[in-house]
Amino acid sequence: MLPILIQQLLNGLSIASVITLIAVGVTLIFGLTGIINFAHGEFLMIGSFVTWLAVQAGTGFVPALVIAILAVALMGLVLERGLFRFTLTRPTNGFIVSLGLIVVLQHVVILFFGPNQKSIPRPLSGVWDVGGVRIASVRVMVILVTIAVVAMTFVMITRSRYGRALRAAVEDRDTAALMGIPVRRYITGVFVLGSALAGLGGALLIALFPVTPFTGGTMVMKGFAVALMGGLGNLTGAVVAGLILGVVEGFSAGYGFSEWTDAYSFGLMILVLLVRPNGLFGGTSGPKMA
Amino acid sequence: MIMKSSSSPLASLLPALAVLVVLALVPALGPSNRILSLAISAGINIVALYGLAVLFGQTGILSMGHAALVGVGAYTAAILARDLGIGFWVALPLGSLLAAAVAAIVGVPSLRVSGHHFVIMTFAFGQLLSIVLTNGGAFTGAATGLDLQLPVTWFGRPAGDLVPYYFIVIAFVAISAVASWLIINSSYGRTLRAIRENEKLAASLGINVGRHKIGAFVVSGLFAGVSGVLLAYFFRHISPNQFSAFPSIYLALMVMIGGARLLLGPIAGGILVSFLPEMLNLDPVESRILYGICLIAVILLLPNGLIAGLFDGLRALGRRLFGSAPRTTVPADSTSETA
Repeated sequence: MLPILIQQLLNGLSIASVITLIAVGVTLIFGLTGIINFAHGEFLMIGSFVTWLAVQAGTGFVPALVIAILAVALMGLVLERGLFRFTLTRPTNGFIVSLGLIVVLQHVVILFFGPNQKSIPRPLSGVWDVGGVRIASVRVMVILVTIAVVAMTFVMITRSRYGRALRAAVEDRDTAALMGIPVRRYITGVFVLGSALAGLGGALLIALFPVTPFTGGTMVMKGFAVALMGGLGNLTGAVVAGLILGVVEGFSAGYGFSEWTDAYSFGLMILVLLVRPNGLFGGTSGPKMA
Repeated sequence: MIMKSSSSPLASLLPALAVLVVLALVPALGPSNRILSLAISAGINIVALYGLAVLFGQTGILSMGHAALVGVGAYTAAILARDLGIGFWVALPLGSLLAAAVAAIVGVPSLRVSGHHFVIMTFAFGQLLSIVLTNGGAFTGAATGLDLQLPVTWFGRPAGDLVPYYFIVIAFVAISAVASWLIINSSYGRTLRAIRENEKLAASLGINVGRHKIGAFVVSGLFAGVSGVLLAYFFRHISPNQFSAFPSIYLALMVMIGGARLLLGPIAGGILVSFLPEMLNLDPVESRILYGICLIAVILLLPNGLIAGLFDGLRALGRRLFGSAPRTTVPADSTSETA
């Protein structure tokens, strides 16, 4: 029983890694702009499809992953400049625009590639046997890459000059602008960073599982559940809540309740919000609107 | 924010009723069964849209799990018919009440968290419901859903065929329109609008903001439940994925495209979204891309919806043609963005 449990835990954590990548992007974008970007899951899905296309074209997994990150970051840049910047004063409109984007992006992908699932050969096929526990190396790779990237993001935001400016802009956009911080450029920057994380998440996801054009929808819901549980706008919260979700999903699959897996993220979120309406770690309520 | 209904409340009801009278004459033109089915499903959506319009247009909160409340109505109808042999007319109020009760259960915890979070909570509850329905075993028919065999009767005569059912649906659209007109023009409606415009100010005037928000959600649940019962008796087969996340997005899309604050908005949104792909001869995938683009365009260019935008555009045109001192420096479409 124990080896199976550890395996399931690892499975849960590897999926939770991808979800955490979404949650971090979502939480960063919300913190600065107040926009709830539901299309973030579709960004992830497009990251997966770009990876699939690149691998189909004969590149290795690593170049494909880099292409996916760049492609989705570029898409984020175009969408922020073309659409979301017009909704900065009315975040609800930004949210609705993102709903429209979900429909558009999803069905454009279906139009070109069909609704069927796509998969790539596992970039790492090794399975380690540690005392009876079979550990797929690809899952470990996903978890490690996520830890590295999230740690980098965290250091960037808490330690660097740019991070301090970003936090100042989250705290008070107008005052930050008066201090000479180019807030608009930071907003674009955060959108691009969040999109790049989604692209990375997409590449990692298709390394784990086959992906369909509908994958983005469930993933973004879980990402939001995690972000809300931790407190929207709170980076630490997103990471810890992602960890909790991974452990819970892993254990529940280990004990044979796998058909309810999708319900946990939402159930946990509702429970947490009932007790602590601002999330476990206290979120921001988004930028203050004049 | 300028309200258009400031002239006379009755004047805002008449166009909607006129449109409904015209729609009621449609079967006389001998439309094809396909058109009639599309019209019925559009009408069923419109009933739910009126509820959503009270919530979003008047109170300013958006539900992204509204299809789940429709689903509560639909499953109530199907389960009542299967287990108790209870028919259409009794299922209607029961389904409606149950959907309202579920809205209350969802609303109490969800509205504790403010603004943005509520939207996500409704979405999450919608997802949860479809998971529960899928895992509900024989009681909810699991992923394949339920069939409904009881006929719809009207004073002892069968009314389940397309034309009679079309009239029933039109009647419920009319009831919904009048009900939402009554809400809009009541003091309750004014309270809801006060909350929409400035929550803190409304609270300082002694309005119990939380309770009224939940109330508005419950009211929209009543509409959704009726729509669900109508839907179950029309399609005769319901399954969880009819009430999951995407149907909810489409409902929100319809209400946004039509405009949530006008009485004609839900009718316009429901009809446009149902018939546009048919008229343009698009396949489902293309039409959904078109919906998405329409939604984004409406939000960015006409934030009050298509109908209000049309009125604004006409008024701007009128000013340019007949008004005093046409200002050539102002671009023509800038007036439509007064939101």
